[in-house]
Amino acid sequence: MASVASLVRPELVCPAGTPAALRSAVDAGADCVYVGFRDETNARNFPGLNFNRKELAEGIAYAHERGAKVLVAINTFPRAGNPGIWHQAVADAARLKADAAILADIGLIEHAHRAHPDLRLHLSVQAAASNPDAIRFYAERFGVKRVVLPRVLTVQEIAAVNARIAPVETEVFVFGGLCVMAEGRCALSSYATGQSPNMNGVCSPAGEVRYTETAQGITSELGGFTINKFAHDEPAGYPTLCKGRFIAKDKASYLFEEPTSLNTLSMLPDLIKAGVTAFKIEGRQRGRAYVAAVVQAFRAGVDAVMAGKPLPDIDLDRITEGGKQTTGAYEKAWR
Amino acid sequence: MTQAHARAGTTPVTPPFSPVLLLGMALKPFRPAALQPLFDAMLKVVRRRHPDILERMADYGDKAVCIDPVDLPFVILLEPNALDPRLTVRRAIEPGEVAATIHGPLEMLIALAEGKVDGDALFFSRRLVIEGDTEVVVALRNAIDGAGIDLIDDIAQELGPLARPFRGLAGAAIGLMSRMREDFETLRNAIIAPAVKDSANQGARIAQLEGELKQLRKAARRGGVA
Repeated sequence: MASVASLVRPELVCPAGTPAALRSAVDAGADCVYVGFRDETNARNFPGLNFNRKELAEGIAYAHERGAKVLVAINTFPRAGNPGIWHQAVADAARLKADAAILADIGLIEHAHRAHPDLRLHLSVQAAASNPDAIRFYAERFGVKRVVLPRVLTVQEIAAVNARIAPVETEVFVFGGLCVMAEGRCALSSYATGQSPNMNGVCSPAGEVRYTETAQGITSELGGFTINKFAHDEPAGYPTLCKGRFIAKDKASYLFEEPTSLNTLSMLPDLIKAGVTAFKIEGRQRGRAYVAAVVQAFRAGVDAVMAGKPLPDIDLDRITEGGKQTTGAYEKAWR
Repeated sequence: MTQAHARAGTTPVTPPFSPVLLLGMALKPFRPAALQPLFDAMLKVVRRRHPDILERMADYGDKAVCIDPVDLPFVILLEPNALDPRLTVRRAIEPGEVAATIHGPLEMLIALAEGKVDGDALFFSRRLVIEGDTEVVVALRNAIDGAGIDLIDDIAQELGPLARPFRGLAGAAIGLMSRMREDFETLRNAIIAPAVKDSANQGARIAQLEGELKQLRKAARRGGVA
């Protein structure tokens, strides 16, 4: 068992969809904040969300003055023959002195490596690199320094990957929404709306979502399809197809996954011992109250582990999707 | 335009038993127009101090949103047009008049505007109900959350030399509200205590009956006499 002294302190990488959320994250103890531009170059291209160039410059200044870093997610896949706004996004991230760009598309990564050799590159979870060969390829060919691992590996598998890819760093999700598909490959949203997170930066676009109150509760529709019904006292979830309730064998149930949030607070010691460099909190689409609450909880958790103290008992139930939590694939309890 | 609308007494969220509910009852005889100057002033302050809200709402300038504080006898019509934004107090909104409606208790809506609570979490727990065009609601939520609104600080900053007494007054009002909320909770618990006791007894009885039914079904499956 590793002693506390031998453990490497992981960075806490926190989401910010707006300048106010960025400030909340930094003030709550984030080591890094990840953000996106206000367009389809990032996978949280939601209405009213994200940063223009001026806001990013101010956000970087705010973070740097307080010893925190800013990472820019440019993690959608450029359209064939029209990579202009993706190239511009990378150029602006470099110009504004972002601490790293988080990229998914192999062509964009090659462009960034060639055109902006001083820009630190992180591989987005959207690239779905989950084994040492894939990770080493990105590191050796394009100088990628860190890989955000897909949410499909156990802690033991993460430790095994880490042992074979040094000095490449790994970042894992520790809290927030979950996807069931191979990351970066999910097209479910496209079937109902014509838009997907990979190409348009938005899963289940809000313009395609309708909620209708009825005497029985609330009905959620996506692209005109009814995907769920919640009774009055039943917690609701995001209106995505993967979290829809469908009828099979005369029984309505969650066929893909239930509305549940990942929460690994109890697993932080194991993840630190597995050699993970950075812990990522999902949720750029969430408000600053969420950002502050989750960052404070994980800041306290990481600090406790590094000080050799017991983990704090922090209840995050109130901000979870569907009011439920899971440790997801990290334990694979279903095996 | 959608069919989203709001009319006093028809909201899908039950108002909490709170001092605001009492205030709402007291405000019932007043015409909404009497409150309009207050909302005009509030819009002026927010517009001056947080111009980025309307900038983030630029694509939705023609989409009116109804904000329905379920514990008050009126609703607020927000028209986020960048050049001529409006915040109008009304008794009700008619079907087709707005793109979307947001229903929730007043204190929660204020906390949401100030970024003290998470909108998604409120939605998951069903304490906040939205109807109509989800896109404009999401845009509005993100624009307001991103602005970093602090109502007391924003108003105080506009008051110049009166800022200090205003802050003192606001602090006292918040303290009073907090104490009143506790008193209301005590009162509520006292009122519903007999019903809660009855409900607990009935729950225990139902559990007992369910146990007996299970035993009987088991016995029947074994071929015994049910």
